Amino acid sequence: MSATADLSRVPRSPRSRVDERWSPAQRYRRSLWLLTTRDLKVRYSTSALGWLWSVLDPLLMAAIYWFVFTQVFQRGSVGDRPYIVFLLLGLLPWTWFSAAISDCTKAFTRDAKLIRSTTIPRSIWVARIVLSKGIEFLFSIPVLAVFVIGTQFAATTDERAQVHWELALWPLAILLQAALTFGIGMIVAPLVVFFRDLERAVRLILRLAFYASPIIFSLGDLGRIHPLVQSIAAFNPFAGVITLYRSAFFPAELDWFAVLMSAVLSVVLVAVGLLVFRRTVPAVLKEI
Amino acid sequence: MTAVDATREAAVDAQPVAIAVRDLGIRFKRNRTSRRSFKDLFSGRARRARPGEFWALQGLSFDVRAGEAIGVVGRNGQGKSTLLKLVAQVMLPDEGSVEVRGGVAPLIEITGGFVGDLTVRDNVYLTAGLHGMTKARIDEAFEQIIDFAEIGDFVDTPYKHLSSGMKVRIAFAVIARLEEPIMLVDEVLAVGDKAFKEKCYARIDEMLAEGRTLFFVSHSEKDLLRFCTRGLYLDKGGLVLDAPIREVVDRYNADYPVARKTPPKAT
Repeated sequence: MSATADLSRVPRSPRSRVDERWSPAQRYRRSLWLLTTRDLKVRYSTSALGWLWSVLDPLLMAAIYWFVFTQVFQRGSVGDRPYIVFLLLGLLPWTWFSAAISDCTKAFTRDAKLIRSTTIPRSIWVARIVLSKGIEFLFSIPVLAVFVIGTQFAATTDERAQVHWELALWPLAILLQAALTFGIGMIVAPLVVFFRDLERAVRLILRLAFYASPIIFSLGDLGRIHPLVQSIAAFNPFAGVITLYRSAFFPAELDWFAVLMSAVLSVVLVAVGLLVFRRTVPAVLKEI
Repeated sequence: MTAVDATREAAVDAQPVAIAVRDLGIRFKRNRTSRRSFKDLFSGRARRARPGEFWALQGLSFDVRAGEAIGVVGRNGQGKSTLLKLVAQVMLPDEGSVEVRGGVAPLIEITGGFVGDLTVRDNVYLTAGLHGMTKARIDEAFEQIIDFAEIGDFVDTPYKHLSSGMKVRIAFAVIARLEEPIMLVDEVLAVGDKAFKEKCYARIDEMLAEGRTLFFVSHSEKDLLRFCTRGLYLDKGGLVLDAPIREVVDRYNADYPVARKTPPKAT
């Protein structure tokens, strides 16, 4: 009991003055945190494997792509070496993104009763998904570390992953990805309420976006097809995010143009998302 | 009783306005198949109802002062619950405004926030927290909440394993413990056994005595007369009468004499 009960207590802020109203910002943060921990708690208290499930998907995918590209096709030219580390650097963030977006399609319907009975700012319903999936992403980083350490026993130096100073760019990558996911989620979540078909469409688009993003390959690989392809691919806001993550182990991956694009697009998407959300929320509340 | 009412009424006029409703209107779709286009979604707040839509409420204006107990009367489908949701701000108006000063404890869909897989304890902290109660306040009120719901033995039981009566009891206990100046009650009292119902009534009396504002929707004349001092009579989406509760109930009975013949306890 104590382990789960502790989660419900806001661990960071030791504020506990009695009889004091929350300011709107505090209330937002607190409600967000309550719902996020609820998500995680439910996930981990109902399944025995808990945490493992959240890393199993990217791990399995990584194993498949690693096997196909390095063992079956023997193509050393895709991505960078060690390929498994390269892959995980794309797959783990992608899992955060795609899981969050596909959960956003159910953001309003799954908690309809709760939404109908509380007045907390509605954007929390999207933000809490982005946050809880983000926390799962952070929890999955140890898996990456295990593989990085594992590659140190490789026979050749170019199969050994090495950490570079660009690891310091990770907070920026996480921030960008959170904004990007939040922006898209704010657009998707309310629209799904009116157009139920969108739920399936989103799943399809996500799958398409997976192959359109430099996850199993790098932006540079596209440049080898034609430099123009690489430039077009850089307009994918996710490309810049991935290059940031990857630069920690593969500094050559860093593409500031792509990063700039994803920063600009994230800001635009958040703005559009907030606008769509504000305009549609009254109708959403009637519909659910 | 009447003397108490009279003094309460006199005191009420001096109180600040707790709920201010102005030209309130909300419309709904008549059927699910009516087309909804992207243009619809983004075209602000057009005044007229579009084809296939109707105004559930329109042109409502009234003030509620702190400490008043308002009963909302009307037939089924005349917008009573919708009005309550608008006051609770869990639904947003298409025109006009609802201004609520102070927090609201909504006894609407009370079990909605509870998660089946979490324990009662976790659920209490979660729901009370979402309604704005600080952690310290919940700690203090926790015993009272559990006592009130009479489920002391099930504090660490997953919520889904409770009986449906227990579920409602704990939910009521949490919301009724919120320290909000305004409470909204929507027929929730129809649930639970007789003893618990009495307890709920006692709790509402207690909260009224503490000077809270009550907004009460019910079909039960007895309950309305018991708790409320002022009535709002809704019919066909409009506010027909805003007067002392006795007058409102009489008018309603005069307008719908058939409804009078049905068992008064039907809710």
